[in-house]
Amino acid sequence: MANLQERYLHAVRRALPVAKADDIVAELRDVLATRQEEREDALDRPLTNDETAAMLKDFGHPLVVAAQYRKQQWLIGPDVYPFYWFVMRIVVLVIVGVDIATGIARFLFGNEQPLAILAQTWGSLWMSLLVNVGVLTVIFAVLERTGFPAEHVRKWTPEQLPAVEDKQKSVWESAFEVAANVLAILWWIGLIHLPWTGGNSEFRMEPAPIFAQLYWPILALLAVRLVQNLADWVRPGWRLLRGTLAVATTLVGLGLVAVLYRAGPPWAVVTPLAMPAQQAADLANSVNLGLKIGIVAVGVIWTWQGVQTLWRLVQGKRSAA
Amino acid sequence: MPIEDDLFEKLRVELRRGSLILAVLGALRVERYGYTLRQSLEDAGLPIEESALYPLLRRLEAQGLLTSEWREEAKRNKRFYRLSADGEAILAQLLGEWNAISDSILRLTEGK
Repeated sequence: MANLQERYLHAVRRALPVAKADDIVAELRDVLATRQEEREDALDRPLTNDETAAMLKDFGHPLVVAAQYRKQQWLIGPDVYPFYWFVMRIVVLVIVGVDIATGIARFLFGNEQPLAILAQTWGSLWMSLLVNVGVLTVIFAVLERTGFPAEHVRKWTPEQLPAVEDKQKSVWESAFEVAANVLAILWWIGLIHLPWTGGNSEFRMEPAPIFAQLYWPILALLAVRLVQNLADWVRPGWRLLRGTLAVATTLVGLGLVAVLYRAGPPWAVVTPLAMPAQQAADLANSVNLGLKIGIVAVGVIWTWQGVQTLWRLVQGKRSAA
Repeated sequence: MPIEDDLFEKLRVELRRGSLILAVLGALRVERYGYTLRQSLEDAGLPIEESALYPLLRRLEAQGLLTSEWREEAKRNKRFYRLSADGEAILAQLLGEWNAISDSILRLTEGK
């Protein structure tokens, strides 16, 4: 019987903070001994092994008993949870958006089997979710221990909230934009490879030198647009920043489009490998015609989006005033 | 019906959680060790699980509201707890708050 109690106390001790373990176990030993004596007095006989086991079970699982002595009673508490959930939703939506967009792009433009794409996208999606949710949980568990978000909750003011008149984009629209932007950055810096861009065994397709000259400006534009998309999503009340970014990205974007348009054609160089030269020339013409239309379309769309965003912001400001 | 019982139990536990601290502080105006403290709470109609009581005593001691010392009694070493000076001040404040809440609840539930 004593052996069972010692085993129980040993199990509790293993889960206790080391510095306090001896003291707490000594007190628990006395508590259990008192409880045992109380029952033995009532029964007028020693407790059987089963009765001792029942008494210990009634006292509580060793991990639960020990956990009550810990300062930290939860991983992410009720004060931090709303912020954790808010960030988690954004991260999950972006991951789902990036993985699905990559899968669709591979299906539309690659020459892989649809089932293989589906299986790989599914696997990659779960792996990304597991890793990111895990990392995010660890970050917020640390924030919980450091006292976040007390400071943020103390500092916020109602004026920071978006005006009711602000026409906020839907969560899915915002997530799609952020995901598309992340995807574009990853592609631009070469971390993901789209199968149709390099050619195949019959020809090689490469971007014109102008793209190498504009590498950093285009990367900077994509990065700033990502910040703009995130601000539109999570900080709709930051009108000045959003307005500045909208104007800046539209102007810089249109400038880059103009530089690109003037530099070409060709914007893509096709080199035949196992293809007749005439066929390669026809392909190059088709691709460059497509790129010409694409560059003009991007210019028009960006102009329209920039005007639209500014109009929304100006309208919102008038309504708020 | 079981759902209602379950809900009542949850609400009851929430309601008791804060008041148990007050009861423990009040009972420790007289020096007691865990077992006798638990007995006095039970006799007063406020039973508390041992697995909850002892960690609570540690927390209150860490907050400076209780003092404790090991002493031998009935041939065994026992840890005796007692309200500290800070604990007495906090208890007086909490009792004032408790009475104010009680009065408010009575006014809200009895008045027409």
